[in-house]
Order: sequence, then structure tokens, then C-alpha cells
Amino acid sequence: MKVFCIIPAYNEARNIGQVISAVQPYVDHVIVVDDCSSDQTATVAKQTLAVVLQHALNRNQGGALTTGTAYVLSQAVADQDIIIHFDADGQMRAQDIPTVIAPLLAGQADVVFGSRFLDQTTKMPWFKKYIIMNLARLVNRLMGVKLTDPQSGFRAMTVAVAKQLHWQDGRSHASEILVAVHQAHYRITEVPITVLYHRFGLNFGSGLKIIKDIFIGKLIK
Amino acid sequence: MAQQILALIVVIFFLTKVVWQYRHREIQKNEFTFWLLFWLLAAIVIILLKQIDQVVANLGFSGSGIQVVFYLGVVLLFYLLGRLRLRLAKMDQDISKLVTKLAIEENRVQSNKKEV
Repeated sequence: MKVFCIIPAYNEARNIGQVISAVQPYVDHVIVVDDCSSDQTATVAKQTLAVVLQHALNRNQGGALTTGTAYVLSQAVADQDIIIHFDADGQMRAQDIPTVIAPLLAGQADVVFGSRFLDQTTKMPWFKKYIIMNLARLVNRLMGVKLTDPQSGFRAMTVAVAKQLHWQDGRSHASEILVAVHQAHYRITEVPITVLYHRFGLNFGSGLKIIKDIFIGKLIK
Repeated sequence: MAQQILALIVVIFFLTKVVWQYRHREIQKNEFTFWLLFWLLAAIVIILLKQIDQVVANLGFSGSGIQVVFYLGVVLLFYLLGRLRLRLAKMDQDISKLVTKLAIEENRVQSNKKEV
């Protein structure tokens, strides 16, 4: 069973080298998708053992994850192989990877989401924790999703699941993946992860944009 | 009456333009049909403005026919804007597919070069 880690990266030249080095001991292959960065992200990534895919145009995180996933699926992979989605900004901890993939390795789940709310180790900004996350939970509930972390970007799934999933380019992919795996009745597990906040990330405006993207995505399907 | 004539001249200008564009293959047949029908309908509305006033009054509306036509025009504009937004979103999706394909292909070519 192989483990692939996909890291979408946009202007992360400062962090990408360290992130790749941190992740590599826990996975078999690292795939970095440089989303048309204007800095040296791709150059730094190419100095490592990671596979580097470069977007000719900026397609946002969802688009970069699509490219990474399509690349993995284009390789000789088995249905039980594992795909991990991991951020390039250095906020996620590579040492959480064994915890995230453990339920997949044990055959107890098809999809695993890392949750920042299952223990108290993540120090999330107040506004994000109590306002944005609760609003995101509410939106998810309306679509039938009941998980503690409504916007987890640290997830792992089997290749069999990845083959069935489709999401949009923008930031709505996190919600779309959650909803899609619930609707397909895959076995879903949440495990605790810790995120170290260097920057705020999604704000209220981004949340509204996600809702708009989901709505338009439904209309053009 | 003068306003109706002026409006009809504008419609005739756009009708001529649509026909010219179609003849010079700047627009496709379905687009030509849509705009041809649109401007012909506009001409009919202008010619029958008095009768539309009567119909609107008979339906119990206090406004004049031209106001109703204006409101319908705004609704139509919103509809067309919505369709345009969806078409753009679809094109954006198609661009992403191309970007993905290019990125994977480029990687494959570079890997082959390294092996050689």
C-alpha cells in the first residue's frame, strides 16, 4: 500500500522546503502542485525528491488539489493506496500524518478528516473559532454533514474514493468533499490534529465566497 | 409618435448590425436567431405600444405599457446576466481541466528527458 501526499502551494517559497522535508518520512511520494506562484516555490520544491507539477495559470487550492489527485490517479495505483491532502504553509504538523492514515491502513474507514476540535491543542483565533466555524457548521448541517471540523483541509482517502470525487477550483472544495463523501455513504472518521496558526486563513468574506461557489457549482453541474 | 419612430430607427440599426455580423460570420446561427427575434420583438412592442397600454390597463395595473415593458426588460437582463455568469463559470472549469492536463503532461515530458 502506497501513501501519496499532495501539497498545493502558492507563493510558499519560504515554507515549502521545510514542509516537504517534514512530510517525506511519513509517506512514499510527495506531490507538490505549484499554483502559478510568482516566487521561487517551484524552484525550491524541485530541489527535493518531491514530484513538482506546475500550473500555467493560478487555479486556487481546489484546482491544485485536482491536479495533484489527477496525477496520482494517472500513476499505477491500487484502489487501497492512500492520498493525503496537506497544506504548504507550515501550519499543519507532519507528525499527525500517521494518526490521519491509521484508520485507512486498518481498513476501518474510506476517508479520514483531521479535526482541530477533537482536542484542545489547536490555538485558533477567537473570531474564527466561535463565529466562522459555527457558521460553517451550520451550512454543513444544512447539507447533511455532522463533523466537528467543518473546514478541515487535512484529509486522507483511499484511491478508490478519490476516483469518485470532483470539486471546484476555489475554496469550496473542503465543503464539497465533505458533502460528497457523506452523500456517497463512505466510511468517515475524524481524528485529532493540531494546527499552528501563523496567519488567519479563511475569513468571513472567504466563507461567503465558499457558499457562492457551492451555489454556482450546483447550477453548472 | 416621434419617440416611437426614434426607437424604431434604433431597432432597425441593431437589426442591420445583427444581419451584417451574421453575413460576415462574426456570430453563429443560434446567436443570430436569438438577437433577430429579440429585436423583432422589440419592434413589435414599439409599434403596438398603444395596444399594450390598453392590455395593461385592462389587467388592472396603474402604470403605462412602457413601464411594464421596462420592468420585463429588467427581468430579462437579470436572466441574461445569470446565464452569462454560469457560462463564465463553465469556461473557468474548462480552463482548469486544461491547466491540469498541461501540468501533468509537462511533468511527464521532463521526467522522460531526465531518464534519457
